[in-house]
Amino acid sequence: MSTTTTTPARSRAWMPDLHVLGPILALVALVLIGIALNPNFLSVANLTNVLARSAFIGIIAVGMTFVIAAGGLDLSVGSMAAFIAGLTILAMNTILPSMGAGIAVIGVGVLIALAAGLIAGAINGLLVTRAGIEAFIVTLGTMGIYRSLVTWLADGGTLSLDFALREIYRPVYYGGVAGVSWPIIVFALVAIAGEVVMRHTAFGRHCAAIGSNETVARYSTVAVNRVKTLTYVLLGLLVGVAVVMYVPRLGSASAATGLLWELEAIAAVIIGGTVLKGGFGRVWGTVVGVLILSLIGNILNLTDMVSPYLNGAIQGVIIILAVVLQRKGTAG
Amino acid sequence: MKHLVLTTALAGLALPATAQTIGISIPAATHGWAGALNFHAEETVDRLSEQFEDLDFVLTTTPDPGTQISDLEDMMATRDIDALVVLPFESEPLTGPVARIAEGGTWVTVVDRGLSQEGIEDLYVAGDNESFGRTAGEYFVENLDDGAQIVVIRGLPSTIDNERIEAFEAAIEGSGIEVMAMEHGNFNRDDSFTVMQDYLSRYPEIDAVWATDDDQAVGALAAIEQADRNEEMFVVGGAGMKQMIQRVMEGDEMVPVDVTYPPSMISTAIEMTALGVMNPGLPVSGRFIIASELVTPENAESFYFEDSPY
Amino acid sequence: MTAALALHGVSKAFGPIEVLHGVDFALHPGEVHALIGENGAGKSTMMKILGGYIPATGGEVRLDGKAVRFASSDAAETAGVVMIHQEFNLAEYLSVEQNVFLGRELRRGWLLDHRAMQARTSELMDTLEAGVAPTARVSRISVPQKQMVEIAKALSRDVRVLIMDEPTAVLTGAEAEVLFKQIRRLRDEGAAILFTSHKLDEVKGIADRVTVLRDGAVVSHGEAGEFTEDTMATAMVGREMSDLFPSKRAGGDEIVLEARGITVPGRVEDASLTLRRGEILGIGGLVGAGRTELVEGIVGLRPRTGEVRLNGEALPADAAEARRRGLVYLTEDRKGAGLLMEKSLRENLTLSVLHRFARPLIDRKAEEAALTEAIRDYDIRAPRRDMKVGNLSGGNQQKLLLAKTMLADPDVVVIDEPTRGIDIGTKSQIYDLIHRLAGEGRSVIVISSEMPELIGLASRVYVMHAGRIAGELAGQDVTEDRIIRLATGLGGDREKAA
Repeated sequence: MSTTTTTPARSRAWMPDLHVLGPILALVALVLIGIALNPNFLSVANLTNVLARSAFIGIIAVGMTFVIAAGGLDLSVGSMAAFIAGLTILAMNTILPSMGAGIAVIGVGVLIALAAGLIAGAINGLLVTRAGIEAFIVTLGTMGIYRSLVTWLADGGTLSLDFALREIYRPVYYGGVAGVSWPIIVFALVAIAGEVVMRHTAFGRHCAAIGSNETVARYSTVAVNRVKTLTYVLLGLLVGVAVVMYVPRLGSASAATGLLWELEAIAAVIIGGTVLKGGFGRVWGTVVGVLILSLIGNILNLTDMVSPYLNGAIQGVIIILAVVLQRKGTAG
Repeated sequence: MKHLVLTTALAGLALPATAQTIGISIPAATHGWAGALNFHAEETVDRLSEQFEDLDFVLTTTPDPGTQISDLEDMMATRDIDALVVLPFESEPLTGPVARIAEGGTWVTVVDRGLSQEGIEDLYVAGDNESFGRTAGEYFVENLDDGAQIVVIRGLPSTIDNERIEAFEAAIEGSGIEVMAMEHGNFNRDDSFTVMQDYLSRYPEIDAVWATDDDQAVGALAAIEQADRNEEMFVVGGAGMKQMIQRVMEGDEMVPVDVTYPPSMISTAIEMTALGVMNPGLPVSGRFIIASELVTPENAESFYFEDSPY
Repeated sequence: MTAALALHGVSKAFGPIEVLHGVDFALHPGEVHALIGENGAGKSTMMKILGGYIPATGGEVRLDGKAVRFASSDAAETAGVVMIHQEFNLAEYLSVEQNVFLGRELRRGWLLDHRAMQARTSELMDTLEAGVAPTARVSRISVPQKQMVEIAKALSRDVRVLIMDEPTAVLTGAEAEVLFKQIRRLRDEGAAILFTSHKLDEVKGIADRVTVLRDGAVVSHGEAGEFTEDTMATAMVGREMSDLFPSKRAGGDEIVLEARGITVPGRVEDASLTLRRGEILGIGGLVGAGRTELVEGIVGLRPRTGEVRLNGEALPADAAEARRRGLVYLTEDRKGAGLLMEKSLRENLTLSVLHRFARPLIDRKAEEAALTEAIRDYDIRAPRRDMKVGNLSGGNQQKLLLAKTMLADPDVVVIDEPTRGIDIGTKSQIYDLIHRLAGEGRSVIVISSEMPELIGLASRVYVMHAGRIAGELAGQDVTEDRIIRLATGLGGDREKAA
């Protein structure tokens, strides 16, 4: 058979791949615009603000990357975050009299937040895999349920953490190490771990395989249902982590907490180059996507260029542009 | 205070022969103020139902104008209500449906957000957005010097928000106070926190913040504390949230005053409607506008309600 | 006579790789022309250029002697040039009728003329003897029936040139005959027909002219009568073909796999089989007889009842467990169930045994080494190591799938249609591989619709008919005639029941 070999020409010299570079270029462009428009943009305080406020959506979006890569979707994360935040605040306030204001109460609160996230994620995952209902429908349902539950817990108002606890818990959002605040540190750790898991473990590879073609994965004896369920559990857990960082910020939760977080997280994932129909996930891209979304808001607040009524339109245009850039890149 | 008087008045009246049903349609508790509105509505319904056996209530909360229209249709069709208390989600789309109900002879009380056509309702109970903006504006004029620089956090983009802002701007006109920026906080603590953080990055010098809403004020205050610029500015919210009234009461320098826009207006509306329905002769129809009041450390105590969730 | 459609010095490059080199070709009205060649020889590319799906890089396409550049396949179809692809182009959730008239719906005023379209579809499906109602949903009809819908779609147009890429790959002999009847009718009406096939007997039977393509160039062409199956094969491969099948090998005495009373609801009823160490066992039967379902039930990819024993121990219906214990199944559906078309060779190769490379992070170097080994051992020809599997030719995909399956180092391998849609050169390689497996003491089950394949490979054959095992043949009894009798439900009485 050796006679038939056509010598393949050397593959094309390295070319900048827009598919990969698109989101980074968009981020760099936004940073440059920010610098040009306001000298305070680059100040440590502003950069810290932007990164820290990105942390909640960012942590959630890392989990969302796995769910979407495996061909799923989770619309419930925003409501879930609000519900878990409400639950955690309520629980901490309740045990406060018996345990006294101290780190222990916060510790219990953190455990409750993580456990609640884990359980909520497992419920989504099992409904999708065991009951065989589309992820869109399952999470649309749980989205409504959690939103109602938090409204009910708060009696239509706001659940506020006891003042004494708030003072103890406050440093978790506002404090930090060597000038870097905790939310940024946690976000970075989650992102790095997510990137490693996605690219270098069997779990990450299996997610992409399932999203790419579930039948092929099943015939390759990948434990399809287990992996899919785990993506939702992981996401739920990360929602719990986000809540742990969120509660100390304002010390309160209400029906308005976490509104539209799910859409921001999904948008960040897609801007980052993960394919909405699944089959491929890129965690670092998601991080870039989250930063892009935060920076848009930040820049609009730092300037008077556009009417605030048009903020949503600007965001929309940039999201679409970022994705168009990528798709163009792959077509070539 | 007000509803105490009314309840006593009701209790003293003779009971009518047949049971009366009052339908109530208000927006769902999607932010603090609306939550308080729901609380007061439920509390009033419970209290009145207990007091008057012949009074029935149908309370619905709606997330959007479309659902509200359907709710109204259902009420008319299946519950045969004698009176309607409605806080229209939006003026335009609700005007037609409410007008049809009024034409059918049902008593209609409109709360807070007026319909776009006059003379439909029997009773109109509302806060005064113009007075809300003006009261805040006047406080700024009195307490800030010429050339002072302030920032504003607006609410959800809406007519209410526009009216407040216009009244505020009119009140500070000629005072030399400069409004450096206005962005929307959407009645949301998190959004307002973010907006305030960015104001603080943008302006090295801010003398005061008009947060237009107490939830938004909470977010703004957290951002100011984070930036450690407490000494530099004060914050004025609005509505009358328990937590903010308390800070005023305690003489907090960052929260010197608050401006009321009481969610308890729904109680007033329900009570007056009950009164009107049960006593056809009583002159309760007309307009009942609740002006915004300035809450100061001196009078704060009378605006503080311990058991309110808001 | 002017050619209906012709290529003059046509070349085609994808990126830096040229896959067609200055091809001259002419297709005349009233002839059936067979284009043959190995996988990857450039047949599909050439057809797509003729059908207006992709533009040529150099040279020109001539329609009735005049140079044309079809802007799209639509433009080609308007000119009467219709192509049927190897992969179906059907909307799965639409009905047969909706598919046949997709994009060219008949109307009456503003509204669709359902009655006329149904009548016409019904008529077409009848001439194709497909037995499918026009209202049937395409997702619910069988693969051969889908092929017939594709053909009906083409026939419903005003066809001057019909191009078919492996139309019979998924058809049984009888179904192919019906298709050939229609092809002859079209030819007699003056249409020019071009098709590809790996079944050389078919080519011999129906083609008027033959063009042989190898490595992107025409190496031989002429009247069909000038070729024999042997000379065609030699021209395709570029060397003398020795015997396609190595000598047969019988198994030992040790039974490695035993299935008793396997029932897969609705598909297979009470089927039993045994497999010995080192044996190559065949399972024959018509498409739809339940062969695939039976083995999928045995390995645990489908719910089943009945008992399976692997090396003497009971095996539950769990595919992961089966793989751990050395029983693997290689699917007939390469694209749908075998390989991830969007992923690289490396990711596909290691997918089912990823845990072996993860400790806990995946050892990329070990994966690359495994790929290097697979490329060498299975002679996988990929222009680039990091390319998507979907861009490999069918034969190379099949070799990769084989490599992927064997990476689990299985004891028992079930290979479903090992050579579907594969050229003769690759076929012989795959047969050699199957023999090598058996020689290593592994046991192999081969499911095949191709008689010569079953007869050439297997020392023992179970034949299935309508969900049951109709009979078992061994040694000298493994003949085409006896397999067909059992497969069609005729000869059950003469064979011992399994």
